[in-house]
Amino acid sequence: MRVSSRTSLRASIVAAPLRGELSLSREELAAAAGISPARLARLVHMGLLEPMAPEPREFTAATLTRLRRMLRLHGDLEVDLVAAAIIADLLERLERMETELARLRGGS
Amino acid sequence: MAVKFRDYYEVLGVPRTATAEEIKRAYRQLARKHHPDLQPAAERTKAAERFKEINEAYEVLSNPDKRSKYDALGQNWKNGMDFTPPPGAEWRTVDPGEWENLGGFSDFFGSLFGRSTGRTGRGGRGGVRITIPGNDVEAELFVSLDEMLRGGRRRIQLPGGRSLDVEIPLGTREGTVLRLAGQGEPGANGGPPGDLYLHARLIPHPRYRVVGDDLEMDLPLWPWQAVLGTEVRIETPEGPVTLKVPPGTQSGKRLRLRGRGLPRANGTRGDLYTMVRIVIPERPSAAEREAYETLKRGAAVPADRPAGG
Repeated sequence: MRVSSRTSLRASIVAAPLRGELSLSREELAAAAGISPARLARLVHMGLLEPMAPEPREFTAATLTRLRRMLRLHGDLEVDLVAAAIIADLLERLERMETELARLRGGS
Repeated sequence: MAVKFRDYYEVLGVPRTATAEEIKRAYRQLARKHHPDLQPAAERTKAAERFKEINEAYEVLSNPDKRSKYDALGQNWKNGMDFTPPPGAEWRTVDPGEWENLGGFSDFFGSLFGRSTGRTGRGGRGGVRITIPGNDVEAELFVSLDEMLRGGRRRIQLPGGRSLDVEIPLGTREGTVLRLAGQGEPGANGGPPGDLYLHARLIPHPRYRVVGDDLEMDLPLWPWQAVLGTEVRIETPEGPVTLKVPPGTQSGKRLRLRGRGLPRANGTRGDLYTMVRIVIPERPSAAEREAYETLKRGAAVPADRPAGG
């Protein structure tokens, strides 16, 4: 089965740990989100996504999760993209609050 | 190997006589309620399963051809019963090798409709696609202050028993998302694997607080140290350092040690701030008490209290 062959392949590579990416270029972000660079440009132009740093690695990985979430809401729940951006913001705020609450309650 | 019957009407909570309008309305309400993105993190996996079920039910009941074929099975089947398709050339059994190609639909769906009529791997939404990308995996990564200061290497355990060596890059903070491309769930039918997203969470440190790129710590001082000035030894992440406290340092004053904070991705570092906290002796010796009485008698401006209260 596909899964077992992948794990044994990875085990034989061993070696270098995977570097967690903090930032992505415009092209990488579009590819990872499954949209065209033109569509990404439109979303940035509409103010629904913000570059955080100067080029070339202008977007954070957090922006990627946000974009993918917006596209899922748009595709699955027929929400227009502006509303999807608002929902994504609210969800991020909720997540921060939930983490803080767990911490205050004596989580790690 | 038997597949289990699924009661799609029960999944959507509609009667068998429901109109297309009613089915659509029921679907919309349930999709909104159970969409994984709209759940707290702990509930997401369960919600994703439920969301898939809801989508599959809608896929069948919203399509007149599929619905009539499903209705033709009759009303005697119940959820979870072992299902065998009635005899007839239209029904097909699904080979185990074909299951990956069902695009996220159940074996039951496959036994009725095969794979070519399925849609995407998210359980039925979106355009027609043959390859199915794998799902993303999101997890929390608890990072120590030491790892934020020096970077670090960590072995993490993912759900499903997989373990990975991950390098924590400089610039990681509370809430930073680290993306490991292609380390999510494998795709199906040649589709690409999903990504792994690690949400960094800082383990609180007993001495230092993190404020952006800076560190903050308390510096308790005796009153005479704050009035007369002093030199103190304080702990920094790089080891103890002597700090000059100027005379006349008020409680709450922040003394800055440049470049001893958290490293940024661009190679610079934030600062370390010590917050002065004047502490009074709670059990003064007789001599100390006498000294304070002298201060009280000799105060330059006899006033009830310092200004500002």
